[in-house]
Amino acid sequence: MQHKPTDIELIEQSLTGDQSAYAELIRRNQRFVFTLALRFTKNREDAEEVAQDCFVKAYRNLQAFQGQSKFSTWLYSIVYTTAMTHLRKKRIATDSIDDEGTFIQIENKPSGYDMNNVENRSRSYYLNLAIEQLLPDDAAVITLFYKGEQSLDEIAQALNMEANTVKVKLFRARQRLKEKLERLLKHEAKELI
Amino acid sequence: MNSIEEKLWNYIDGTCTPAEQAAIALLIEHDEVYRRKYGELLALNAEFTNIELDEPPMAFTYNVLEQIRAEQALKPLKANIDNRIIKGIAAFFILTISALVIYSILMVNWSAGNIEWKMPQLNLPKVSGLLSSGVIKGFLFFDVVLGLYLFDHLLRRKKIAKAA
Repeated sequence: MQHKPTDIELIEQSLTGDQSAYAELIRRNQRFVFTLALRFTKNREDAEEVAQDCFVKAYRNLQAFQGQSKFSTWLYSIVYTTAMTHLRKKRIATDSIDDEGTFIQIENKPSGYDMNNVENRSRSYYLNLAIEQLLPDDAAVITLFYKGEQSLDEIAQALNMEANTVKVKLFRARQRLKEKLERLLKHEAKELI
Repeated sequence: MNSIEEKLWNYIDGTCTPAEQAAIALLIEHDEVYRRKYGELLALNAEFTNIELDEPPMAFTYNVLEQIRAEQALKPLKANIDNRIIKGIAAFFILTISALVIYSILMVNWSAGNIEWKMPQLNLPKVSGLLSSGVIKGFLFFDVVLGLYLFDHLLRRKKIAKAA
């Protein structure tokens, strides 16, 4: 059986100039980095730009990665700062948790779904739709916790926040997601009746 | 104040102390409200793990690597030169000049006595004839044009930097 290199091994190979090793690191993390960028930007083109920028920055600073945290945690902190800079440039207010009315509806519908096909409108579809309607911060915390295999401490490190703040944010984000999901499902049930 | 939901989420996430954990477990076992809410949150938690990740475009990896390659190719020559080489060249020149100065000082015959020394007379060409008013005006005009060109260049660079 072929040995699957660890992230650290791939980083070491990348540092010697082996670009195929870095390509493997990109392949391993691109879906999550792209999704996380999409949570902040709410737009596929911008998310692609942020994700791409993030991998280029990571490559440039690969030598600075000391291996004290997971590579993914380090990468997510780059996604966060890159996305914030991008949003600041685009003058989009993202940090107001209480201002529910300011969120921007995502431009592109989730991939793999046909909007006209009622059969595809599963709970999972509505869950993703509800996540898109969350504020960027809430959506990012939920995604990092459930899909990024990150602990609260690691999320705090990636988002440059206190672990307790992340805990509170996660609690509130879950409540909001639950409310939005219920609202969407109720609306869909009415439509079907 | 911790709400039931908050306590239960902490219990599900495993972020509470062992004592709290035991207390909540007891409440779930005996309290109907806790039990119902716990079941609801557990189902929600399982559902949240089904969040789908979005797929970036097919050429994503290729685009990133291309960007890295382009960046490396654009690196100025200055950044590619090893600093040790520059320092080595500098050290060579400093040592050579120092050795030459020391050698020259050592070779001077300090016991030459009082010799009357005169400044050699140099026959420099007279330039006053060359600086006619036309030449000066032309020179000043050239200076003004050059100044404006450089000022424009500076403003353009600032504008590009701001746009980036």
